[in-house]
Amino acid sequence: MTDQAHTGATRTIRPQGYWVGVARDGQKMGFWFILPTFLLLLFIVIFPFFMQLYLSVTWWTPLEGIPWYSAWEVFSWFDNYLTLATDPRLWGALWRTALIMIVAVPAQFFLGMALAYLFIDQFPGRKLFYSILLTPMMIVPAVVGLMFFLLFQGTGPVNAHLGLPADFSWLTDVNRAMISVIIADIWQWTPLMFLILLAGMLGVPSDQLLAARLLGGSNWQNFVKIILPRMKTVIIIALVLRTVECFKIFDLIYIMTKGGPGVQTETISVFLYKQTFGDLEWSYVAAIGLTILIVLSVIAAKGLAYMARKQG
Amino acid sequence: MSSIQIRNVTKRFGEFTAVRDLSIDIEEGEFVALLGPSGCGKTTTMNMIAGLEDPTEGQILFDGQDLSGLRIQDRNIGFVFQNYAIFTHLSVYRNLSYGLEVKKVPKPEIERRVQAMAERMSISHRLDQPASSLSVNEMQKLAIGRSAIVEPRIFLLDEPLSNLDAGFRAYMRAELKVLQHEFGQTMIYVTHDQIEAMSLADKIAIIDRGRLMQYGAPLDIYNDPQNRFVANFVGSPRMNLVDGELREERGTLKLMLHGGAEIPLSGKVRVDFTCDGSVHGGSFGVRPQDIYFGEKRGGDDITMTGKVEVLERVGPKRLAYLQVQDTLFVAFDDLDRLRVGDEVPFCLPSDKSLAFDIDTGRRLGGA
Amino acid sequence: MKPSPGALALKYLFILLACAVVLYPLLWMVTMAFKPYPEWTTVAGLTWLPQDPTWQNFEFIFRGHAEGLVVSLDRTITGPLIASLVTSICGTALAVVSGTLASYAVVRFGLAQSLPLSVLQLRLFPPLAVMIPVMVMWAFIGAVDTWWGLSLIYGIVTLPFAFWLMKTFFEEVPVEIEDAARVSGCSYWRVFYRITLPIVKPGLATCALFVFILNWSDYLLALMLTQKEWVTLPVYMATLTSAMGGQMYGMKAALGVIAAIPPVVFGLMIQKHLVRGLTFGALKQ
Repeated sequence: MTDQAHTGATRTIRPQGYWVGVARDGQKMGFWFILPTFLLLLFIVIFPFFMQLYLSVTWWTPLEGIPWYSAWEVFSWFDNYLTLATDPRLWGALWRTALIMIVAVPAQFFLGMALAYLFIDQFPGRKLFYSILLTPMMIVPAVVGLMFFLLFQGTGPVNAHLGLPADFSWLTDVNRAMISVIIADIWQWTPLMFLILLAGMLGVPSDQLLAARLLGGSNWQNFVKIILPRMKTVIIIALVLRTVECFKIFDLIYIMTKGGPGVQTETISVFLYKQTFGDLEWSYVAAIGLTILIVLSVIAAKGLAYMARKQG
Repeated sequence: MSSIQIRNVTKRFGEFTAVRDLSIDIEEGEFVALLGPSGCGKTTTMNMIAGLEDPTEGQILFDGQDLSGLRIQDRNIGFVFQNYAIFTHLSVYRNLSYGLEVKKVPKPEIERRVQAMAERMSISHRLDQPASSLSVNEMQKLAIGRSAIVEPRIFLLDEPLSNLDAGFRAYMRAELKVLQHEFGQTMIYVTHDQIEAMSLADKIAIIDRGRLMQYGAPLDIYNDPQNRFVANFVGSPRMNLVDGELREERGTLKLMLHGGAEIPLSGKVRVDFTCDGSVHGGSFGVRPQDIYFGEKRGGDDITMTGKVEVLERVGPKRLAYLQVQDTLFVAFDDLDRLRVGDEVPFCLPSDKSLAFDIDTGRRLGGA
Repeated sequence: MKPSPGALALKYLFILLACAVVLYPLLWMVTMAFKPYPEWTTVAGLTWLPQDPTWQNFEFIFRGHAEGLVVSLDRTITGPLIASLVTSICGTALAVVSGTLASYAVVRFGLAQSLPLSVLQLRLFPPLAVMIPVMVMWAFIGAVDTWWGLSLIYGIVTLPFAFWLMKTFFEEVPVEIEDAARVSGCSYWRVFYRITLPIVKPGLATCALFVFILNWSDYLLALMLTQKEWVTLPVYMATLTSAMGGQMYGMKAALGVIAAIPPVVFGLMIQKHLVRGLTFGALKQ
């Protein structure tokens, strides 16, 4: 395998837009080809963005019977934004989301890396074990929520196996609820890390690894000095992907604990859901959503610029 | 520096036998080429010497010692890969220093040895640059330097010249020879290019379909091939090898060729063919440069007549393709007077012709 | 050079341990689906294999009632199952068709060079942060709790995957093949339809399966944009408790098994391309 082959990211197969100088009928067809996607984007991005902006500066809620376009009647300037800046529940939810990311993503990373390392070479049963280990990430997250909901019941198998009494609760305990949720997330998404990191690891040219071993490097030295540096791009992709997904976490938690007990497992998504459907504070949710949108966009832009600078 | 004894080594991959009962003795400081067509098992043999593969049967001894229990990283074997396996994410310096680094050699010494090796391989001006920026030729040097710097007990090279352009290949061939002298290292070199093997190696092991066909000094192999395969494989242009039936007619032994022509045998080659009475079919071999035109120079030489089909210029000389019925002989046109279409007599020197058993490929008679 | 037996044993030990951890929750749910009520909890002792295997749980969710059970359901699995299938398939079709066309235009005609990144950004945001206007819009156009409303949002949120996946597949088609067809007089449309599309057919199938898995796995969007008629399987599964009061572990587990099967089967089918799909084509295996 050549050096470039293991990451598509750094490889251009041929210049983008090979047929740039093509005759007009080609351009015209390209336009029709792009149209559906463009319309969908327009439909889901441009219009909703302005609506969100509009609603976020009002006190509009679907309760009072005012149609959304008349929301200016309850114009509230930046009250929603002032509220969100000091809303302890919002900041708590953000902190808990961060906590899950800080614990789960590294755990998934190290477990995934260790497993990937075991799968570098061929051994009997590799394909079967590989398929088994990949299963969790293919299961519907809501079902994973149900699975761990069942496991962590007081009368479930976890307590039975650990020899704990039936009133030893996991999902309704102030501290253990969070632990349960994190365990479930690690269970479901370690396979993804494993999958991506293994792909990256197998992308390291095998003759270079052999050369390193023949030069006398121990397995650990070769891993640190040859494999890891070559996997940099893959590792970044895996971590970014999982961090972004982890920030969105909802299904698992909502099914396992509904964010409870109290607000103990309330992440940002669960909080927004409750605000939307419990309290019907739609304009407030719009304000929070817009803030998140802007912050994430800035971070993404910075990140992309940083990557571009590093490569260029 | 080590001597190596390969003892009755067999390697099977499932049903497929890559190497069969191979035995080769390599002495300390020798430069040995493993030569054979692709897929013959030479690379497998080398991988077994390096410890990348375990022999199914047999042993490989280094100075009489079996290393099969040792991990690859503890064997101290220099290996130059066909595509060099340069660590492209590291600098040239770090490539050279890697083998020392992992052995925890003190920094100043690493520095000294890397500088010396870079100097020797004339890549010192590129030390700080990423190895990926090197040209193929420089990568080749770096690959050799990287293996040599750890002073391995033996040095293995897997078709190291096959990726180079023609000019640099000739230069590198000479360079390798010099390096081998300088390092005084036991070297084993895998190649399918017989010219490379002939010009570089102290000894050549010719392998075909997993079997050792002949092992010896290049000239011995060239002059005295032990079987039809070696005779056919070594030498450029190739030896003329024509197959036929042996038949005795009115006191003369003839080789009736499958193409219809016949070669009346006499002198040494006749003795060779008849030394084993059980042989009925034979191959007659003669190198193109041994065929000559004009007057018979030795009493036992065999005269034939053929039609010049093609004349081909090879360097300063011309190769003539001579058709005798349906059999083609290739000879150097030493007189430079031939023209296409001529019917010309030519002579096969009896004492330089070789006889082979057609069934086993075995050389008959011999020097 | 084989690893030492000790190292190999240790390796297998770790792998088997990992597999056990993976299978533990799975097994509990799958066996639960075949267990009768008394075995749902460990009160009467923990059992892995159902002591008294039964189809009761499946019967209950399919028929609304089951022999020997006093409770009954006013809504069986049929509706949600159809809803899940219809919306997942329609959403997939929408995403794959528009994503395929757009990525081809980007790869071959060099149009809309900023499109790939803006499409990718769709995946960056938590859906809940942008849901308010979507819900208002959906209500406004009467799309809430309809098959097309849910399909539409599915198509949009999985479009980035389809777009990027197809982009990598198109990039692998040698442009020379298309050039040859162009030279022999085919129109651009014909080249696309007759030459390129058949070449990327396996990629297209992979892409469709992958996007289907994503749509099928959704819970949140269906939770927000459906109410009754077009509730999908995961939502139905989660609401089973609240509707009846009391925990119906066995039925839920049966539902979970049914919901989990298609993605796992499809996922294993496209195993080779999972990395590519999940990393938006940035990595290939």
